Amino acid sequence: MTNAPQQLSRPLASRVTLLPDVQETRLPDAPPTSEAVMQAAFDALDKGKTHYTDRPGILPLREKAVAHIGETYGVEMGADEVTITCGATEARFVTLKQLVKPGMKILCAGSGEPIAGAAALVGATLTHNTDDADIALAYLTPNDPADQVQTVLNAVEARENVWIVWDMGVQNPQSSLHPAQNPALAARTITIGSASDKLPGWRIGWLAGSKVANKLRAYKQSMTICTSSISQWAALGLTLGSETESQ
Amino acid sequence: MMTLHNPNIPEDVRAVAADGTQLRYKLMELSNQYPDAIALGRGDPDLATPPHIIEAAKQAVRDGKTGPTPVYGLPELREAVAAKLRAENGLSVDAGNVIITTGGQEGLFLIMQAILDPGDEVLVPDPRYTSYDEAIASAGGKIVLVPTDHADAFNLRPEAVEAAITPRTKALLIISPSNPTGGIVTEDRARAIADIAIRHNLIVISDEIYEKFLYDNWQHFSIGSLPGMAERTITLNGFSKTYAMTGFRVGYIAAPANLIHALAKIKAVTTGAAATVSQWAALAAQTGSQAPIQDFHRIYDERRRLMMTGLREMGFDFSDPRGAFFLWTNSGSTGIHATELAYLLLRDAHVLIFPGTGFGENWGNYLRISVLQSSDLLHEAIERMKPLIMRYRSR
Repeated sequence: MTNAPQQLSRPLASRVTLLPDVQETRLPDAPPTSEAVMQAAFDALDKGKTHYTDRPGILPLREKAVAHIGETYGVEMGADEVTITCGATEARFVTLKQLVKPGMKILCAGSGEPIAGAAALVGATLTHNTDDADIALAYLTPNDPADQVQTVLNAVEARENVWIVWDMGVQNPQSSLHPAQNPALAARTITIGSASDKLPGWRIGWLAGSKVANKLRAYKQSMTICTSSISQWAALGLTLGSETESQ
Repeated sequence: MMTLHNPNIPEDVRAVAADGTQLRYKLMELSNQYPDAIALGRGDPDLATPPHIIEAAKQAVRDGKTGPTPVYGLPELREAVAAKLRAENGLSVDAGNVIITTGGQEGLFLIMQAILDPGDEVLVPDPRYTSYDEAIASAGGKIVLVPTDHADAFNLRPEAVEAAITPRTKALLIISPSNPTGGIVTEDRARAIADIAIRHNLIVISDEIYEKFLYDNWQHFSIGSLPGMAERTITLNGFSKTYAMTGFRVGYIAAPANLIHALAKIKAVTTGAAATVSQWAALAAQTGSQAPIQDFHRIYDERRRLMMTGLREMGFDFSDPRGAFFLWTNSGSTGIHATELAYLLLRDAHVLIFPGTGFGENWGNYLRISVLQSSDLLHEAIERMKPLIMRYRSR
């Protein structure tokens, strides 16, 4: 054993106290990796695709995300509006950090649990009250109660300074509704997605759409430069949504 | 001296010229229009990732070792990193003092979030990799620049550090070897700076990402190994540069245990654990053969000597490059602002070089030239640049 240091000589930032503790224990094993994903990963490794990718993420994966959003919700956007992230976790934090100032509120139709930690870190609070002032962003998921989602969308439609997040990165998304199906909301709707249900541990997510797509991309780059190149290429072997998994 | 209003600089470059990071990305984007462009900009090693690391990544996939790891990182990798830091860097750490990050850049972000309250100041040597600015600003902190200079090989001067300290100073950032200058903080200076840090109760963030690439018999020294520094030093390092595996995105932080817990709390809600396959690859890098590092070192050293010769022939002066992959080149003798000069070299020679302004607003007389291309391509770049530099000088 060493005389390993236990306490930093200065106090930590006060924001740290707002966050829950994290377990150090090993997590359960993942489901088996499909042949298609394995092959895509091996091809990338054999071809030396082991260096930084472009900042937005590799183009074919961004195109895949766009196709998935289009197929699922009928919402069209360009691959240039997509940024590949380190899972949905990074996509959520980047969005909140860039669009929600400290002291502002996030209007949720459901529990808001997936963003609770990120909200605490940026100094925002969650609310379910559509009449609240200081709402910066509405956070919605396909698993939220449909009537609550509609209530939130009705409440923010006329409030043009409120951003909308549609988080399809949650487990087993159920709804076929998407806020950007309303053209009046498309420019301020950010779609968040993830491949973690089929590829846990590979850390692939994405941010898509909205008029702040480039701003969000720049901040993601400042945090992690790019997402793991091997994970990105491997995810090309994945089928998303209702497609049949290729073997 | 020409200014950024010079019509040679396109509007979209001028628009981001004040933001070092965005300026670098804009130039990289512009270079994509030239299929024969030689990229001497980004710090991404061109050499192949060693085969045993590639094989370890494949084996992890074959073995189904792909599920998420704890946010702290793969326990085996934390142990291996701690062992490395004890053996090579003289740090008193165990696995509980280590967290695995999604590359070194994320490490910086996490550190600043964990230690800075709004208004806290961080001393940063200038010039600097401007991602430090973003990480500090993101936590509400304030960057305070500590000047370094050409005549001193961009070594950090203890008296300059002490002069920059205020009651709000919380931390000092040390980058050795430095990006962009290639300068190092020598052991004698590190000892003097450690005394200052202890006297003023400063946290020292020691970015050692280029530690394996020092030249001309210079030696790396970890400030965290000094008496009284363990409880105030945060050591940042990673696998990207050392093992030519930037795309895997694996770095690490070593620090007192309470900070490691804080970093994990922040990481859990900002990016989650590093990619699992990448971590297994990093474990192979850390525990496998280290012979590739020696090969990389020899290759980079040969290249920097080639580039130094070419730069001298062009009439350029550069600081004594003691480490990293870069030549921090004084281009003031051309009479052209570095942002314009970098743009002209890209447009006319199809050679991508970053201007000094990509590393701080005070560096319009410098270029950062990386040597992360083959010797043949470096030679070609030199031959393309020479006549243009002569022409620019005569205009």
